Amino acid sequence: MQLIFEKSVKGKQGYSLPRDRFSDIELSACLPDYAIGRKKELTEVSEVEVIRHFTRLSKLNYGLDDGFYPLGSCTMKYNPRINERLAGLSPFIHAHPLAPEETVQGSLELMYRLNRLLCEINAMDQFTMAPAAGAHGELTGSLVMRQYFRKRGEKRSKMLIPDSAHGTNPASAAMANFQVVEFRSNENGTVDLKQLAELMDEETVGLMLTNPNTVGLYDEGIVEIEKIIHGKGGLLYYDGANLNASLGIIRPGDAGFDVVHLNLHKTFSTPHGGGGPGAGVIGVKADLIPYLPTPLVAYDSKKETYYLKDNGQDSIGMVRAFWANFSVLLKTYAWILSMGPQGLYEASETSVINANYLLSQLKADYKPAYDRYCGHECTLTGREYRKYGVKTLDISKRIMDYGMHPPTIYFPHFAPYAEETLMIEPTESESKETLDAFIGIMRTIAKEARENPALLTEAPHDTPIRRTNDLLAARRPVLTYDDELKLKEQ
Amino acid sequence: MSNQIIEGLYYSKSDEWLKVENGIGTLGITDYAQDQLGDIVYVEAVETGKVLKQGEPFTTIESVKAVSDMNAPASGEVIEVNEKLAEDTSALNSDPYGEGWVARIRLADESELKNLMSAADYAAYRKE
Amino acid sequence: MRYIPMTPQQKKGMLEAIGVDSFEALIESIPEAVRLKGALKIPPAMAESELEEHLLSLARKNRDGETKKPLIGAGCYRHFIPAAVRALLQREEFWTCYTPYQPELSQGTLQSIFEYQSYLSRLTGMEAVIPSIYDGASATAEAALMALRLTHKNRILVASLLHPHYRETLKTYLAPHGTEIVFLPFSGGLTEQEALERALDDRTAAVIIQNPNFLGGLEDLAKLSALIGEQALLISVTTESMSLGLLPAPGACGVDIAVGNTQSFGMDLDFGGPHNAYLGSRKKYLRQLPGRIVGETVDREGKRAFVMTLRAREQDIRREKATSNICTNHNLNVTAANIFLSLLGTEGLYETALLNTKLAHYLKGRLLSSGTFSEVYDCPFYNEFLLKVKGNPERLRQGLLDAGFIPPLALFELYPEEAFRDVWLFAVTEIFNRKSLDRVVQILSEGGTPCN
Repeated sequence: MQLIFEKSVKGKQGYSLPRDRFSDIELSACLPDYAIGRKKELTEVSEVEVIRHFTRLSKLNYGLDDGFYPLGSCTMKYNPRINERLAGLSPFIHAHPLAPEETVQGSLELMYRLNRLLCEINAMDQFTMAPAAGAHGELTGSLVMRQYFRKRGEKRSKMLIPDSAHGTNPASAAMANFQVVEFRSNENGTVDLKQLAELMDEETVGLMLTNPNTVGLYDEGIVEIEKIIHGKGGLLYYDGANLNASLGIIRPGDAGFDVVHLNLHKTFSTPHGGGGPGAGVIGVKADLIPYLPTPLVAYDSKKETYYLKDNGQDSIGMVRAFWANFSVLLKTYAWILSMGPQGLYEASETSVINANYLLSQLKADYKPAYDRYCGHECTLTGREYRKYGVKTLDISKRIMDYGMHPPTIYFPHFAPYAEETLMIEPTESESKETLDAFIGIMRTIAKEARENPALLTEAPHDTPIRRTNDLLAARRPVLTYDDELKLKEQ
Repeated sequence: MSNQIIEGLYYSKSDEWLKVENGIGTLGITDYAQDQLGDIVYVEAVETGKVLKQGEPFTTIESVKAVSDMNAPASGEVIEVNEKLAEDTSALNSDPYGEGWVARIRLADESELKNLMSAADYAAYRKE
Repeated sequence: MRYIPMTPQQKKGMLEAIGVDSFEALIESIPEAVRLKGALKIPPAMAESELEEHLLSLARKNRDGETKKPLIGAGCYRHFIPAAVRALLQREEFWTCYTPYQPELSQGTLQSIFEYQSYLSRLTGMEAVIPSIYDGASATAEAALMALRLTHKNRILVASLLHPHYRETLKTYLAPHGTEIVFLPFSGGLTEQEALERALDDRTAAVIIQNPNFLGGLEDLAKLSALIGEQALLISVTTESMSLGLLPAPGACGVDIAVGNTQSFGMDLDFGGPHNAYLGSRKKYLRQLPGRIVGETVDREGKRAFVMTLRAREQDIRREKATSNICTNHNLNVTAANIFLSLLGTEGLYETALLNTKLAHYLKGRLLSSGTFSEVYDCPFYNEFLLKVKGNPERLRQGLLDAGFIPPLALFELYPEEAFRDVWLFAVTEIFNRKSLDRVVQILSEGGTPCN
């Protein structure tokens, strides 16, 4: 499809401005020479053409409303339409973050109430809404933990992270200047308690844990893990990416976690947007509240108003401008109220049943990484198709030809069993009919792998583009239209 | 899996090779290393005059799916750099012991060579 | 529940197919001691109609948000957003999908990002631009960390006229690295050049300047760049990207790393977020840039295609050695900005920026003539400026609120210096016109309306 730059024609107009352009005021009277630059060349396209261009672009995408989107640990669940409509209400979208507080009581009250709901759902004492994404929450949480030990005068610089962890965990710990200590999972796919006990000491900040972990397994050692970490004065950090397996079943605060981050764009149904925006709010136990970013939303019971309260001098400061990704919070709030306590439990129950159903029906054709009941996602492997010259990548590309989005591939990746992985998370939004259709497709592909592997190795065949040359993209970066033009000249 | 090993070179545990001639060392990555990395897209520039220390990272090699530190197999000052790699990294994959050489150094201390492996030892090491 | 398609019948069948009697068997590995006993103590489920009613009642507590035109900016600017932007963003293929890891199913997203990168490159004069960091503050912090990595130094000079929230975020991100941060004083509404010269040394990694600065003043980036020379990297930050329609591109002024909050490109105020920011640099620093970037390539049939590239910098590959931990960014905001810029185009962006600055200068002039205000600085400004209130600030403020305007920022709250007592930071955009600005002047000249 053509780039908008290739559709641009001088003289076309896609904008409108009122007639009064203040021609009575000279630009040179307003700005000195050093502040006036050359006009920036963008594009010139009419509104009609912009509408067509982006409409056509959108049709090149596969969206969640198009069908099954079983990416592991992404929780691609239905994005309720009512939440989008409510987030678009004028008084919310036009609220300026620095407007007088008496004029934005609705927004402040929503944030306050959401905090209470999230605290109850997760058994934590206070949330900060500041972090803009999961990784941002992990960084914020790491900085809070760092501050906690600083204020206690304890020198701790190491962070324990399992090999199964999402890459953002070690990356975030490194940004907080912790030394990452990675340890191996045991042969059941969960935390090796003996190793953990050996590694945990008084120089270690604590452990970052996802539960269920990235292969979808609840860690049965959670009680022992808590004892080991707290036993040496450390802190337990919960990566909430997989919370969808636990709503109404097990709360991180009850399991002993001190800091929790939630991915609102996963568990709490807010849309993924093609890569955000989401929110990675973090919750803490009471003794860590003083270190949370500033400000927090508080309620003045005398004046009966909500207000932004400075969190004091022990706060780590700020991790972003203003207060939060508000529209994401609103959609979360609306979803929780729509589900209620029973609905939240059913969401987790259904996603766990769905994942185990897929596991039970697919394990004959795709050996699971760990043959045990899973949480809300199951990890299968494509290893046995190597002998036909087929990689797991090829399997994922072939799924596209059958009109579905493939699951996550090659993550997680750790020895000995989590290799050539297919991580499948159906979520509670998928019907049995969809799951059965997916099972049928996967069985067909397994047969194709054995009988006609070229169908897989050359897949996809039916998508807007075929497989891409990623090597070329990295070797010879073309990052803008101007780069493309330069290349053509050569 | 590709694992060609050349006689007469020294090898490090982190898969670098070193050729020694009259106090000058030529270095690069082994066939095993390039195979593990996959198609290499970029080598971080190394400057002549830079002083390398045996076993310590001095540059990074990036493929589509990974980035790896390259450690100096021996200590010394960089006297020459393979400029061709700045334009085209494919030699690192296709000819790691020849055209894919990364840098030449003036060896600081030839006694360090005892810390490296011979071709036979490296073959045994990489057979694991 | 209407978001969960499974029926009780189907549930039974699936449990049988799995080979268990009940759901309990599937979660046996969760120790009893940590299981939740009973139900969550949250309100029972609301029907859609009840939810709507509840949110509408909360919305009403925001007191006529729609009609209140903001005379306040301070890093968040209300601009007119064409209906076409909102309409296109409604397309589910843009907002329900995931990060474009599978390029064959996401050429829409990927091509859109590529086009936007192309726009940003031309606007900023930077060859490589990351299209999305969460916001201007975190992007400024990432730029600082990038400068520390590039120079292997641990000291930065920062304009005191950098947005207060950005300064705080910078301090928070740099705290674990023990970076020495020196704040440069200002005078006459602009960063003091002599102070910069004195503070600059060979331990300095970077100098961070906001332009237009927080008080609205226009810094001379080219001059500052010449002062800094090769000693350190110059990082420029803009909180009002619409200004790029008029101001020189940072790249043309010698800036090495450019950061900008792009909320003005088609994003609602949304009580402060989600917005978006770009982070761009010279091509030679490409591999130290944090965050996702899209590149052009071909597919196996030679057709032009777009993919996320240079991924080896990112957390999923590099883990603790990644250039940043950033994973999910603010991609839907990128889509909004891209559509917005496509509609505005070359002329629209220029004309809008021009109109913004003229409107602001018109208001300042008229307010000074009214006698209610005195000038604080006479330095050049784009669309924000300071004025000191000579009358009763509370009454004037209330008068504005009652007439449907959000008052300017009371600067003393964020810069608690005596000189800034009763000083307001005004912002003007094209949502105002001559008539509404005259109304503002009228309200403020009459000393405000008496409080009821």
